[in-house]
Amino acid sequence: MKPTFSGSLLLFAAIALLLQGCSSPEDKSSSIRVRWSHDPETLNVLQPPSQPAFDAANLIYTSLLHSNFSTEKLEPALAEDYPTTQYIGDSLTRLSYHIRSVATWDDGRPVLATDVDFTLKLMFCPGLPNETAQLEFDFIRALIPDPNDPRHFTLECRGQSLEYPQSSGEFFIVPEAAVDPKGLLRRFTLAELQRLPPNAPADSALVRVARQYQAFAPGALPGCGPYQLSAWEKDRYLTFRRKEKWWGSKIQPTPFVLQARPSQLDFVIIPDASTASLALQRGDLDVFPQVPAREFARLQNSSAARAKLAFYSVPSYDVVTAGFNTRRPALADALTRKALGRCFDTAGLIKATQLGAGQQTVGIISPLDRANYNDSLAPLPFDLTAAAAMLRQAGWRRESTADDAGLVRTKAQGELQRLRLVVRYRAEESTFATAALQFQAAAASIGVAVSLLPTEAGSFAATLKSGDFDMYVRTLKGNPFMFNYVPLYHSRALGQSNVTGFSTPASDRLIDAITRARTPKRKSQLLRRFQTMLQTEAPIIPLFFLPTRVAANRNLTGLHVNSLKPGFAITTVERSAVPSPTTTP
Amino acid sequence: MTRTFGSWPRKLAVGWLTLVVLTALLASVLPLPYSPGVPDLLNASEPPFTSGSHWLGTDPQGRDVLSLLVFGARTAVLLTLPAALFSAIVGGVLGGAAGFCGNRARVAFPYWLLAVGVMWWALQLPLPMLGVAVAALGAGLAAAAQLRENTLAAWPVPINALVMGAATTLDTIPRLVLVVAIAAGTGLSTTGLLALFTLTTWPHAARLVRAQMLRVRTLPFIEAARAAGVTEYRIWLQHAMPHALQPLRTAFPLSVAGLLGLESTLSFLGIGLPPNVASWGRLMATVRVAPDAWWSFIFPSIMLILSIISLSSLSKKQ
Repeated sequence: MKPTFSGSLLLFAAIALLLQGCSSPEDKSSSIRVRWSHDPETLNVLQPPSQPAFDAANLIYTSLLHSNFSTEKLEPALAEDYPTTQYIGDSLTRLSYHIRSVATWDDGRPVLATDVDFTLKLMFCPGLPNETAQLEFDFIRALIPDPNDPRHFTLECRGQSLEYPQSSGEFFIVPEAAVDPKGLLRRFTLAELQRLPPNAPADSALVRVARQYQAFAPGALPGCGPYQLSAWEKDRYLTFRRKEKWWGSKIQPTPFVLQARPSQLDFVIIPDASTASLALQRGDLDVFPQVPAREFARLQNSSAARAKLAFYSVPSYDVVTAGFNTRRPALADALTRKALGRCFDTAGLIKATQLGAGQQTVGIISPLDRANYNDSLAPLPFDLTAAAAMLRQAGWRRESTADDAGLVRTKAQGELQRLRLVVRYRAEESTFATAALQFQAAAASIGVAVSLLPTEAGSFAATLKSGDFDMYVRTLKGNPFMFNYVPLYHSRALGQSNVTGFSTPASDRLIDAITRARTPKRKSQLLRRFQTMLQTEAPIIPLFFLPTRVAANRNLTGLHVNSLKPGFAITTVERSAVPSPTTTP
Repeated sequence: MTRTFGSWPRKLAVGWLTLVVLTALLASVLPLPYSPGVPDLLNASEPPFTSGSHWLGTDPQGRDVLSLLVFGARTAVLLTLPAALFSAIVGGVLGGAAGFCGNRARVAFPYWLLAVGVMWWALQLPLPMLGVAVAALGAGLAAAAQLRENTLAAWPVPINALVMGAATTLDTIPRLVLVVAIAAGTGLSTTGLLALFTLTTWPHAARLVRAQMLRVRTLPFIEAARAAGVTEYRIWLQHAMPHALQPLRTAFPLSVAGLLGLESTLSFLGIGLPPNVASWGRLMATVRVAPDAWWSFIFPSIMLILSIISLSSLSKKQ
């Protein structure tokens, strides 16, 4: 039984492997470790599909304008200043930008107007995941370069809008030299690409550019942002390292939006909130954003946690909504949808899931935005008697006299419709699960059969896009500066990001008018009308706005917890020797 | 009574299991103050034995824990008992056939056609109606041969190798991994979960019955039956199988206990049953959302532990 050399070697190798497998991202002291509940699906810079994907892209790439988390406004990032605006007649806008002279790509090349032009063209290049970007930026019809200054350019926009100066600068810039070194996209104008019919035969140059773009491994596409992805262990962590020569630090004083204080950022994937909470208390995590209400309250009540952690809670622009698949014949009429909307006990849900901290709403504009929130409307009441009456008015009747009989109605063609609904929501989200469960119980009491289908986070968006649902419960993310509802409710977004399938000529006109509003007063009027229309047509039922809850190590400074996603400023966080005071609003 | 149920622990086990089964069967008529599917949002995560009307408290979604325990018992009983029964039947028949016939059985050509055709159709291979046609041809040939009393050409069927091969294949993958992979990948209804449990638990019963059958088939009364001219099928069914199935009497409670644990594990992991079906495992899982709500973990755990211990004690020899 004497241990052999090879046996000892094997044991040593096994222990080494085990230790390697159990290790977190190295160098805990210098890095800031943030909890993510899941990996980003992709690092597609043209259209980040989720919040983690957007946050990751935000570190690697930069846009002309960037959200300042301390002021909650868009501020110049890659651009030297806000664009100068020139209105041409009453149907054109010209926005002139100048890119900062110190801005460079990872390889030291300068960021130029040609890169911005290339990025805009890439948004309309067929064969790429860029549908939402197309809907958001199709108002830009051309980029006019300045022949005397390669960093200066003018964006020519269709129509005139109060939002253009901001929305025209909020997209990540992609390097032309890395993706299209031969300049294949230069053969096309932006307008030509925008006019390409969906079923046009594939142009070989466009196919090649699309292939070259997609050939980059996640995070490998060079960026002009402050960080580079240095490691990605799926389901474990992503590590970002600050560039040694970050151009933003050459500007003194460095603007807030270009600050990159942590030398390393680790995003640790911990799906379970309780586990994340334990890791935070143990010191294995520094920041836990979006803490569930009960966990947040539990930590706040623990004296041990209070000694180590700081707590922040502010209102957010994220609204929990229920949505209908209006393409389903049973849900095609607004009366049925409005009746079902009355089955949500919003006040009860706020108490049960947010411990009373959410804010009931009439629409998808936050009540914090007093100028645009339509306070003349009342939130949908939880009223099952009214719901049953409205369903009868919509033609629904019990199939038989039995108590548990479902609802049916006969359409004009003699077709029998049944009101049976499948509600999808993201699995592991207890707020959505509670809302769906409450809706199921309430709907059952008026004869509507509801099945619940929790769906894995990675496939939830694709399932909604494919229309494989009757109802969903999810969060819509918003911000205080832009109100472009084209991707959500316009007919141009049908089959893409308009998952409810709702659109009417009137709603399209209203959405277009909002995007083209030229004065705050006009925009406010239109937004109020839009909220009224959404409540009348009820393709979605906005339930309540969530608060942002962040728990963080008390030694951190510069968190700037705010109402925008992800809820704090990742790039200004620093570890200090002196603990920060606990914040418990 | 003492002879029927044995010692005190055994009596307690029988009493507890009877209570669980009765609770399960009478769940819908019991005078419970709350329905398990209706959340009381104003009293979510309410502790037990407080002034409120939820005696055992509520879970983080506001559902009454007592109702969830009662209806969870119904889920446990109505899922695990049939699954254990079906797996015992499937395992018993396959194991009995494997042990009795070995690899010597011969099946006439038309029956081969019938089996291949049915399999073709059941697996929905390309042109499934071709499978139906093949099966019909086989059935027709078999019927014709019966009428004419013809002797048909027969091919050997290695029943023992097939059954043991299938059982070994299933055993090579840990059961939990297999069930999780199928249930999480496809999403299952209660019936689907029942079928999945049966599919993954029959090998144990098959091995027990086969081992017993290998002993039984050599006993003198089997030889005597053959000498008396009884057909092989009748010997297998009427003489050998009743003896070969004896080990299942002991294994059955253990099989139920295993399935009870498996169902709770799946529900704890959030896979398997739909979210609105009450389950002890799912109730236990809510502790992940609210770690302070000990009652939503402790009460179903007690139910589960008592049930599994009781089932284990039933399988012990007195």
